[in-house]
Amino acid sequence: MGAGPNETFKVPPPASGPERGRMNRLYDMEPRVMDDDMLKLAVGEQGPREEAGQLAKQEGILFKDVVSLQLDFQNILRIDNLWQFESLQKLQLDNNIIEKIEGLENLTRLVWLDLSFNNIEAIEGLDTLVNLEDLSLFNNRISKIDSLDALVKLQVLSLGNNHIGNMMNIIYLRRFKALRTLSLSGNPVAEDEDYKMFICAYLPDLVYLDFRRLDDHMKELAEMKHQYSIDELKHRENLMQARLEDEQARREELEEHKAAFVEQLNGTFLFDSMYAEDVEGSKLSHLPGVGELLEAYKDKFVIICLNIFEYGLKQQEKRKAELDTFMECVQEAIQENQEQGKLKIAKFEEKHLLSLNAIREESELSSIETKIVEYSEDITELFNVLMTLEMQLVEQLEETINMFERNIIDLVGLFVENVQSLMAQCRDLENHHHEKLLEIAINILEKIVKGEMDEDLPDDVRSLFVDKDTIVNAVGASHDIHLLKIDNREDELVTRVNSWCTHLLDKIHKDEIMRNRKRVKEINQYVDHVQSELDSLECGDLLD
Amino acid sequence: MVQAVLKATSSLDSHRHARMEVLKEKVEEEEAAEREEAAERAERGEKTKRPMEVRREETTMTQEMLRDLERKLSEIEVSVPEKLLAFTKDTIDTSKLPLSYQSNTLKEEHLLQVADNFSRQYSHLCPDRVPLFLHPLNECEVPKFVSTTIRPTLMPYPELYNWDTCAQFISDFLSMVPLPDPLKPPLYLYSSTTVLKYQKGNCFDFSTLLCSMLIGAGYDAYCVNGYGSQDLCHMDLTREVCPLTMKPKESVKEEEKAPPKKYAIKPPRDLTSRFEQEQEMKRQEAIKAEEENRRKQEEARLLEQENAKTDPLHGLRVHSWVLVLSGKREVPESFFIDPFTARSYSTQDDHFLGIESLWNHKNYWVNMQDCWNCCKDLVFDLGDPVRWEYLLLGTDKPFLSLTEEEDEGMNDDDDVENLGKEDEDKSFDMPPSWVEQIEISPEAFETRCPNGKKVIQYKRAKLEKWAPYLNNNGLVCRLTTYEDLECTKTLEMKEWYQNREDMLELKHINKITGLNVDYFKPGHPQALRVHSYKSMQPEMDRVMEFYETARVDGLIKREETPKTMTEHYQGRPDFLSYRHVNFGPRMKKLALNSAESNPRPMVKITERFFRNPAKPADEDVAERVFLIAEERIQLRYHCRSDHITANKREFLRRTEVDSKGNKIIMTPDMCISFEVEPMEHTKKLLYQYEAMMKLKNEEKLSRHQAWESELEVLEILKLREEEEEAHTLTISIYDTKRNEKSKEYREAMERVLHEEHLRQVEAQLDYLAPFLAQLPPGEKLTRWQAVRLKDECLNDFKQRLIDKANLIQARFEKETQELQKKQQWYQENQVTLTPEDEDLYLSYCSQAMFRIRILEQRLSRHKELAPLKYLALEEKLYKDPRLVELLKVFV
Repeated sequence: MGAGPNETFKVPPPASGPERGRMNRLYDMEPRVMDDDMLKLAVGEQGPREEAGQLAKQEGILFKDVVSLQLDFQNILRIDNLWQFESLQKLQLDNNIIEKIEGLENLTRLVWLDLSFNNIEAIEGLDTLVNLEDLSLFNNRISKIDSLDALVKLQVLSLGNNHIGNMMNIIYLRRFKALRTLSLSGNPVAEDEDYKMFICAYLPDLVYLDFRRLDDHMKELAEMKHQYSIDELKHRENLMQARLEDEQARREELEEHKAAFVEQLNGTFLFDSMYAEDVEGSKLSHLPGVGELLEAYKDKFVIICLNIFEYGLKQQEKRKAELDTFMECVQEAIQENQEQGKLKIAKFEEKHLLSLNAIREESELSSIETKIVEYSEDITELFNVLMTLEMQLVEQLEETINMFERNIIDLVGLFVENVQSLMAQCRDLENHHHEKLLEIAINILEKIVKGEMDEDLPDDVRSLFVDKDTIVNAVGASHDIHLLKIDNREDELVTRVNSWCTHLLDKIHKDEIMRNRKRVKEINQYVDHVQSELDSLECGDLLD
Repeated sequence: MVQAVLKATSSLDSHRHARMEVLKEKVEEEEAAEREEAAERAERGEKTKRPMEVRREETTMTQEMLRDLERKLSEIEVSVPEKLLAFTKDTIDTSKLPLSYQSNTLKEEHLLQVADNFSRQYSHLCPDRVPLFLHPLNECEVPKFVSTTIRPTLMPYPELYNWDTCAQFISDFLSMVPLPDPLKPPLYLYSSTTVLKYQKGNCFDFSTLLCSMLIGAGYDAYCVNGYGSQDLCHMDLTREVCPLTMKPKESVKEEEKAPPKKYAIKPPRDLTSRFEQEQEMKRQEAIKAEEENRRKQEEARLLEQENAKTDPLHGLRVHSWVLVLSGKREVPESFFIDPFTARSYSTQDDHFLGIESLWNHKNYWVNMQDCWNCCKDLVFDLGDPVRWEYLLLGTDKPFLSLTEEEDEGMNDDDDVENLGKEDEDKSFDMPPSWVEQIEISPEAFETRCPNGKKVIQYKRAKLEKWAPYLNNNGLVCRLTTYEDLECTKTLEMKEWYQNREDMLELKHINKITGLNVDYFKPGHPQALRVHSYKSMQPEMDRVMEFYETARVDGLIKREETPKTMTEHYQGRPDFLSYRHVNFGPRMKKLALNSAESNPRPMVKITERFFRNPAKPADEDVAERVFLIAEERIQLRYHCRSDHITANKREFLRRTEVDSKGNKIIMTPDMCISFEVEPMEHTKKLLYQYEAMMKLKNEEKLSRHQAWESELEVLEILKLREEEEEAHTLTISIYDTKRNEKSKEYREAMERVLHEEHLRQVEAQLDYLAPFLAQLPPGEKLTRWQAVRLKDECLNDFKQRLIDKANLIQARFEKETQELQKKQQWYQENQVTLTPEDEDLYLSYCSQAMFRIRILEQRLSRHKELAPLKYLALEEKLYKDPRLVELLKVFV
């Protein structure tokens, strides 16, 4: 730490010149607020020059159009008022007295951010700047590298003249795959004699460190030196990666099952959930003979669940294939129609050029008028042709959509029906199980009443066998819970598949209407444009 | 003419069965005597019987036939060029031929016997048929059986592995000699080695050689003795269409229509009348049929005209060709190869009029089928003894059981006398070929045609071939097509080139339109691929195509007309695909200047771009037109995938001055735009101004590029002219014979080696030798002598060094003096000197100064090196093995 940067007397970089440094640190100067006036002034100054500048002044520049902004040596204490600069790509806020990174959330297009020569103590507030490639935090008071996770495109990172003291901060930088340039000189870490080697070893893709190129020889040496620890690190990273991928795959699978509306039916989940809230059921399972019964019941139940699951997946595929063919056909039809439209327009445009020229060159007023009339007729005809094409397409698509609607509703109906029948099997099983259970329970009750019960029952179970009503009620309650679960699952499935179907059809209809409106608007716009061109010509002629 | 064929080959089938049963006894009696005689002859090893045999065979011809023949012979005029007759046995030096050529082995003699026997039986049984072609004489007048003349050989050249290239080679390599008698097989059949040596031969020589090579390459090939058409026998292709002029048939690919998908939209209802459509269709068909009819008639007329000439000897002309049977080498169907033209024919072809016999290196078969319908009905199942009578038993062809018996009977006849030979006879197989290994030298293989030149006349076409490097402009092949049958009016010419440094591959000259098209292989310095032009003058109609991958600018094609230039591009980073430039008339101010310094003014530049996927479609320019004269720029953008209209923008570049005299920078009416989805920022003047400025720059660039293209055309034209002038040929670095450079290099290497050797010899020079010579030889040196020897040697060397220094010094002084003198002279006469003298003096001075400087350098260098050299010698002397012992003490 001895050779670390002096906190009160920071050395400016050689490039910035001595007076800049002085200005930066004039403490007697009042801290300034980033207000509208300051921004306007800066934008005006940095805007286009000369002729373009005159135009810009005439029209004014909107903040949201500004691409690059320079606000250095302004004695700014707090970043503010930048939310309007949506398209800003380059922002320079160096040589101010900023203490906290804030107010940059809206500048998502930012590529280049310079915050050097400020008083920043922690890296923060950069989580939305996903496009950032070049970040300079040179000469600040940062002691830890973190909160940079969002900057996946980061290529250049300048962290020189800071307070970073822990070598482990460098490992954090391994996640930036695009990072090529790093500067850390002037930090306590840089004092370490192993500093360069360490960075070389842990950031093998780095090309420039502290503005010097890292040579391959150096990289090799470093790699050899730190091979073991790096291997270990890599291993850990790989494991992590694998786990992440695994999770991702699992999530995707679940999504797929959800799309088929049969998630978690490929196992004992439903069965387990039936018994999860069923206190009596679990108590009763301790009765002699119930265990085996329960096993058999579970097996059968799971088999049915699996049937539902597989059937669901198959149906999902069918629906998907249906939807894909439909979409493909609709796309093809639209494409073809568009091609025809384009052809018509191209033909018209050829003629259009000729006739415009002809009208321009014509000198006689009467013939001009006849030509203009002819031309307007052409325009009207084009309009009619295009609209006819569109109407035709609308009709064709409507027919196709209706057909698809019918088919998909049929498919969904079939699916629901079959699932319901399978669910009914589940219910039957449950009923059957219930009867058996009741029988056993009553038998045991009788035994207990007769005092023939030789086995020992747990106290809470025995408490159920006080009289017949209690035990019947208990078994009945368990049965009710089970049935309720099954019903719920069935309801959920049916509701979801139906709502999916409705949504899909709604969307298709809506899309088609949108498309139609857009096309009609487009045609109208085009025809209006052509007509206005003609009109302007007319006006010009009349003026002449 | 069919009658003649009938006479030659028909009515044999009826004889065939008779031969087996009835005639057998008769034959026995007649031939018993002869057989005896033959056996005796064989024992004596006599070779003189053949002429007799031939004479005898001739007598088997009926008198009627002879007369008929005579008459026909007198009718025809066989125009055989004199030089072709030169290839007779007189010119062949038979003395150097190996022994197998000059005599027959015992086995061969035996074979000849068998053959004679077979021939006699055959002529007896089939008196109507011409005698068999079994054992003609070779170049040494020795009778050899035809099968033994075939020498199966696999050539070392991969090009000769397939039948087509192999046949093509033979047809190119040998020049054709017609048969001495077109109606009879030749008396002589030379070995293939002799034929190859003299590069001449008749059809039998051709087919024997081809058969040898094809069998060597694994084909099931046979030499055929039969009858061919006149064209075939005379190697006359003038009635054939040249294969090179035939256009490859375009295979019409029927695109499989995908079945309409489930949700395919229904087409809009068709409201036109079906009846009208049908009527229209009918009318069209009628017209088409009529046209077709007319065309057919025309064709028939033409055909008749061409075929007007008929041959009086049709069906009698003897020809030999090669039959390749299916089965081996994946040949799917049997076919004929005409060895003269190397063309393959189906076995049903009209040119082949009949087959007498055929043979390979193992056996000989006689055709017993009727040839009334040419070869069309022949069945080439050689295992069928009814159709094909074989000579030897024990070939690899499958036999029917019937043949066993028959053969037994035949052998029995032989065995009457020679009981002991029974076993041998049964398994008698063909003796090995008497012909030497067939060899073709690489030089001969490359030269191909005799003298490297060959001309083939086709119907309305002439094909000329040359060996590579024979013509110094690299021409290897020229096809001239004519309009008429007499070949007087040239239609077009195609010239193929090889090994050209400018990579010219094919030159296509159309004489009617005057259009020249040059085709280039990859590797032209300007990446040219095709250049079609009518004249080499610039600014004319021309099309240049390029190998776009070899060009930095990705240019594919540049078309020019006197007023326009169109360029097509591919794969450019700026997505430019097309540029069209319209030129205006040239300014007349500078009439003297050439096109280069006074380019034509450009009126309009149209550029089109491919879609740039990185930009949104409505900001990606699809076409921009610079109307230079009108100072207007038109932009058309790409169409978005869900739109049918595209953005358009038009800039007027006029700069105007407003009422106050200020320059108007930008006004809204200077940019007219149509936007499909209006955007806010494009409405701004600033945006428009910037866009216009950018376009102005780009216009300049485009103009510059167009100008550069013009320059490039000039450059290419100049280059092409130079190339045509120079037509240098490239030589492969592996071609040691032709490659001058490598030859030089090799020679240089040899020279260097030689010099190295000399230097080594020199290095071994003994510096003590002159001094040792003073001493009596053979004696051992004393120490004193050794010391003296050393000192003398060193002194001598020192003297030499001093001498050398003195010499240099003397020269130096002399030069200096001369220079001084000259300078003095100059000082004195400076006034009177002419400029020439002065120049002379100055050049002398500079040269003298140079010489003095060099001498100075040499002297100083010598001074520097002399002591070192002296020390080196001393050191060497101390280490000299002869002195080392004696001088040791002093060290």
